[in-house]
Amino acid sequence: MTTVAESRPSEGFSTWSRVRGWLRNPWGKPRFLVLITWAYILWSIVPVLIAVQFSFNATRSRTVWDSFSWRWYWGDPVDSVWHDPTLRHALVQSFKLAGADVLIAVPIGVLLALGLARWRGRGSGVSNFIMLFPLVTPEIVMGVSLLLVFSELFTFIHTGTVAQILGHVTFSISFVVVIVRGRLFSIGRQYEEAAADLGASPFVALTRVLLPLLTPAIVASAAVVFAISADDFVISQWLSEGGPTDTVPIRIYSATRAAPLPSVNAIATIMMVSTLLIVTIGFLTWRFFTRGERRAGKAAEDIGGAFNLT
Amino acid sequence: MARGEIELSKLTKEFADVTAVDAIDLQVPAGEFFSLLGPSGCGKTTTLRMIAGFEQPTSGQILLDGTDVAYTPPHQRNVNTVFQNYALFPHLNVYDNIAFGLKRAKRPKAEIRERVGKALELVQLSGYDRRKSSQLSGGQQQRVALARALVLNPAVLLLDEPLGALDAKLRKTLQIELKSLQQEVGITFLYVTHDQEEALTMSDRLAVMNGGHIEQVGAPQDVYEDPETLFVADFLGVSNLMAARIVSTATSACKVAVDGYELETRGTELDVTGEAKIVIRPERLELEAHGSPPGQNRVPGMIERVVYVGSTIQVIVRAATGESLQALVQNTGAGIPWEQGTPVQLHLPVDALRVLPSGIGDAPSLKGEEQVEEGAAAS
Repeated sequence: MTTVAESRPSEGFSTWSRVRGWLRNPWGKPRFLVLITWAYILWSIVPVLIAVQFSFNATRSRTVWDSFSWRWYWGDPVDSVWHDPTLRHALVQSFKLAGADVLIAVPIGVLLALGLARWRGRGSGVSNFIMLFPLVTPEIVMGVSLLLVFSELFTFIHTGTVAQILGHVTFSISFVVVIVRGRLFSIGRQYEEAAADLGASPFVALTRVLLPLLTPAIVASAAVVFAISADDFVISQWLSEGGPTDTVPIRIYSATRAAPLPSVNAIATIMMVSTLLIVTIGFLTWRFFTRGERRAGKAAEDIGGAFNLT
Repeated sequence: MARGEIELSKLTKEFADVTAVDAIDLQVPAGEFFSLLGPSGCGKTTTLRMIAGFEQPTSGQILLDGTDVAYTPPHQRNVNTVFQNYALFPHLNVYDNIAFGLKRAKRPKAEIRERVGKALELVQLSGYDRRKSSQLSGGQQQRVALARALVLNPAVLLLDEPLGALDAKLRKTLQIELKSLQQEVGITFLYVTHDQEEALTMSDRLAVMNGGHIEQVGAPQDVYEDPETLFVADFLGVSNLMAARIVSTATSACKVAVDGYELETRGTELDVTGEAKIVIRPERLELEAHGSPPGQNRVPGMIERVVYVGSTIQVIVRAATGESLQALVQNTGAGIPWEQGTPVQLHLPVDALRVLPSGIGDAPSLKGEEQVEEGAAAS
C-alpha cells in the first residue's frame, strides 16, 4: 500500500495546490461559492447579533460586555423599554401602524391584483407598470409629496397616526399587488374556468375557488407588509407629529444621536424578533396551504412566481 | 333522451392577428361520440372552448338543442367540460370536487351525497372521496374530472384531450372505458384530440380540422378509407402519395398515368383533372414475388429497407415509377420475408387506390366549406 501511494506523482504537492484543487474540483460542491456565501452571512449577521447581545448587558455600556440581565427590557425603573414612556409609545405606535397597514393594504391590494391580472386590452400594460412605481420611487420623494398632499390639499388630515397609516398603505399596496398577481399568473385561469363550467357565477368562483387558492399569497403579502411597515423610517418620520406618533425606528434614530443606552438595542431586538415571528408565521401558513400542490422543485418555482415582477 | 344536439353555424373566432376558427358548420346529433381531430393550432380546442363558453365567438351561432347559446355565460350552459389537465380544485378533496357543481345548483344535502356516490361508482373510485387530488394518480384524477362533469347530468360533455397527459398503456384502457361510459350515460360526447388513433377508436363520427376549417366529417372508417383531401389522407395514419396525371375520371373508376404506368383507381365524385395525387395505405399495398404474372395495377419495384416493428414488418419499396412506398406485412412468425435489394412486383389494388386533387391539403381555404356541407349532408 505504501509503495503504491509513494509512486503516485500527485504526492508531495504544496498545501497551496491542494487547497486550489479542493476549491476547483469540478465534481465536488461549488466550494468557492459556499465560502463567499458564508462570508456574506457572517458579515451581515454578526453586527446584528452583537447588537442583540448588548441589549442584555447589565451595565449602561453598549460596547463593553458585563453580564446578562433583563435590565433594559423591564428591569431598569426609568430607562428600560417597559418603563420609559417614549420607548413604550414608539413600540405601540409601530405595531399600530403595521397592523392597520396590513388590514387596509392587503384587501385593496388583492382586489387590485385581481383586476389588473384579468384586465386585458388597452391600458392594462400601462397600469401594470404604474403599479410598480411605488417600489422604485425613492421613499424620501414619496414622503415629501405625501406631506405636501396632507398639508396643502387634504388639510383635514393632520400629520400623525392617520396620515402615517395612509402613507404606509400607499407604498405597501404595490407589494401586495406584485405578490398576489404572481400567484394569480402561476395558478392560471383553469380553476376559474372549471368553476364557471360547473355553474359557479363569477362571484362564487372568486369566493369559493380563487380566494382559497390565493390564501398563501395573501398571507405572504400580509407578512411582507407588516415587516416593511414596522421597518419604515422615512415616511413615518415625514408624517409624524412628534411625541407619541414617533415610531420605533424614529426613536432609535434620535436616541442614537443623543446618549444611547442598551434600551435602544432592546427595543430594536423586540422589533426584529416580532417581525421575524410574523414572517415565519406567514411562511408556515404558505407551506401549509400549498402542501398539496408542491412536488419536487415546485416550491421554488412558486415562490419565484409570487415575486415575479413582470 | 333526445337532448344534447349541437349545431354550429358559421362559427368564427378571430384573435388579434389570427382567425382560429373560420366559419365552420357542424351538426352533431344527440347521443353521439363525436371527435374533433387535428394538429395543434387547427382550431379544435378553440371550437370546444366556444361551445363551453370560455371564448366568445366573433360571429356565428352555437345551437344547443335548438337554442343559440353563443352569448350565454359558461355557468348558465348545460354543458360540462373535462379539462386537459383536469383542473381539479387543489384545495378540495375528491368528494367536494364532485359536489361542487351540485352545491352551486343548491341541491339538497341528501341528494348531493347520493349523486356523488353514484358518480364515484360510475368511474370506479368509490372510497376515494376523502382524498386530495394531489394524492391521486393521473388516471384517477382523470376519472374524478369525469365524475365531476357527469354528476351534473349535462346535455353535452366536452372533453379537451383528456388522455393527453397519461402514458400509452393507461390511455388505451381509458379509451375503451370512456367509450363504454358514453354508451352507458347516453349523452353527447364532444372529444378534442390530436391523436388519430384515439379518434378512430372511440368516435361514432369525427371531423378532421386544419387551419380553422373542417376538412372532412364522417364515420372513422369512411374518413380513413375515403379521405377527401390530401391533408386528411396524410394526417390519418401513413399514406403513400404518388403524383399522377388523370386520364379519365368517373364515379365508378378512374384511370391515371404514373410515370408511364397506367393504373386504375376507385371512382371519385370529386372534380379532378390534370395533375393529381393518388394515395394508398401501407397495409393495402401488396408485394408479389418477382416474376409473378403481370396484370392490372402492377408495378415492378425493389426492396429498399425492411424494418421489424413487432406485430408487423414495415417494408420500404422503391417503385419503378420513382416513388419510395411503404408496405406493412403481417408478422406471421415466418421471419422477415424479403431481403434488401430483392426485386419484387407491387400490386396496388383498384379499390385501395384513391385519386385526390393535389394541393387541397395545403390550401384548404377554398374547399373547406364545401366539404363541411358535403359531410353534414352525408350524415
